[in-house]
Amino acid sequence: MINNIIRYSVILTILILLQVLLFNNIQFSGYVNPYVYVMFILILPVEIPSWLLLLLSFMTGIVIDLFSGTPGMHSSATVLAGFVRPFALRINSPRDGYEAGSFPSMFIYGFRWFLVYSITIVLIHHLALFYLEVFSFKEFFHTFLRVLLSSLFTLTFILLLEFIRKGR
Amino acid sequence: MRNLLNFLARFNNLIIFLILEGITLYLLSTGNSYHNTRVVKTTRGLAYRLEQMVNNSRNYLRLREINQVLAIKNANLLNSLENVMKNRDSLFFSVRDTIHLQQYVHTSAQIVNNTINRQKNFFTLNKGKNQGLGVDMAVVADDGAAGIIVGCSQNFSVAMSLLNIDFRLSARIKSNGYFGSLTWDGNDYRYAVLSEIPQHVTFGVGDTIETTGYSAVFPEGVMIGTINDFERSGGDFYRIRVLLKTDFKRLHYLDVIGNLKRNERLELEEQFR
Repeated sequence: MINNIIRYSVILTILILLQVLLFNNIQFSGYVNPYVYVMFILILPVEIPSWLLLLLSFMTGIVIDLFSGTPGMHSSATVLAGFVRPFALRINSPRDGYEAGSFPSMFIYGFRWFLVYSITIVLIHHLALFYLEVFSFKEFFHTFLRVLLSSLFTLTFILLLEFIRKGR
Repeated sequence: MRNLLNFLARFNNLIIFLILEGITLYLLSTGNSYHNTRVVKTTRGLAYRLEQMVNNSRNYLRLREINQVLAIKNANLLNSLENVMKNRDSLFFSVRDTIHLQQYVHTSAQIVNNTINRQKNFFTLNKGKNQGLGVDMAVVADDGAAGIIVGCSQNFSVAMSLLNIDFRLSARIKSNGYFGSLTWDGNDYRYAVLSEIPQHVTFGVGDTIETTGYSAVFPEGVMIGTINDFERSGGDFYRIRVLLKTDFKRLHYLDVIGNLKRNERLELEEQFR
């Protein structure tokens, strides 16, 4: 338990630092802004209580908001992602269910499972985030293209980080 | 109680989610100036549309009554027109002088927003500079004084209601001509207070109170209301409660009166201050 707390704190710190120092500065032609910190919500333990999940998502979002000077924008999207996560897990559940006390990891449930699971949540998070940023449905498809491209990059980085995490 | 607890336990995730999402959206709309502007703009647009819908339906329901008022008003206007025509024949005037004899311009307007429950009440009219309205014009409803315009935009005007503790109006008792100052004490929207009437004056309950025209805003003789009761206040004066003729709770069609000779008069008066 304590072990888990320390582990996730370290992961959260690393993800936030990565996001703030590195990924916030990546902007290819205004279309691609990867938001990799969503990974924190993805890899929390399967059996985490929902209220804790929501609270952690909220806090993650607030911290990112503080660093990028956009109060409410990221936290709104992350809270939504945290709310959707249990449903995403239930819909994608493997044939024999989740093992007790396990984590949503590529190396336990397979690459395909992890991909579908993270696509669901990253897409929802990015949809909320980008439409909140624009705050209007004008130029709907322009925003949608940004969502798709950014999600693609975010997913790539998340998969990469997942490999690094297990390789260590 | 038990049901409530069950309900909370069942939907606790949803409730936490909604609370957190509410907090973030609040932060979003107050912390970012762009989002804030858009939210305010949208809500204002919606509120305006709703207000207009309510107004439209209310208009429709009151058509009969309004019609009657208009008919009476029309008759009165025709009468006064007759007077003006007669006057014209008997006086010298330039043929091109279109405002000869005319001191006041009347414009009809509708009310689009009104309050009566504050200490400082204002109402909004649906006409503005483009329709010839300006600051310091008098607003009259159903032949009873209602307020004074204090601000104009292109298509709207805001008027200070008589129900405003800053409102001062010179008023007199019609039967004997003694004048005093009319204010609102901030209590009841149906009553105003007339002060500065000396105690040797005789009058009775039910006497008419009307404007004097001393202020160069209201024309002379616009009715304000009737005396409801009175009491001695301080040394030499009465404090008279006036039952207002205008029902501020259902203001609708208003007559805005501009004084064409106001500037001329004020300029002249200015020289002797």
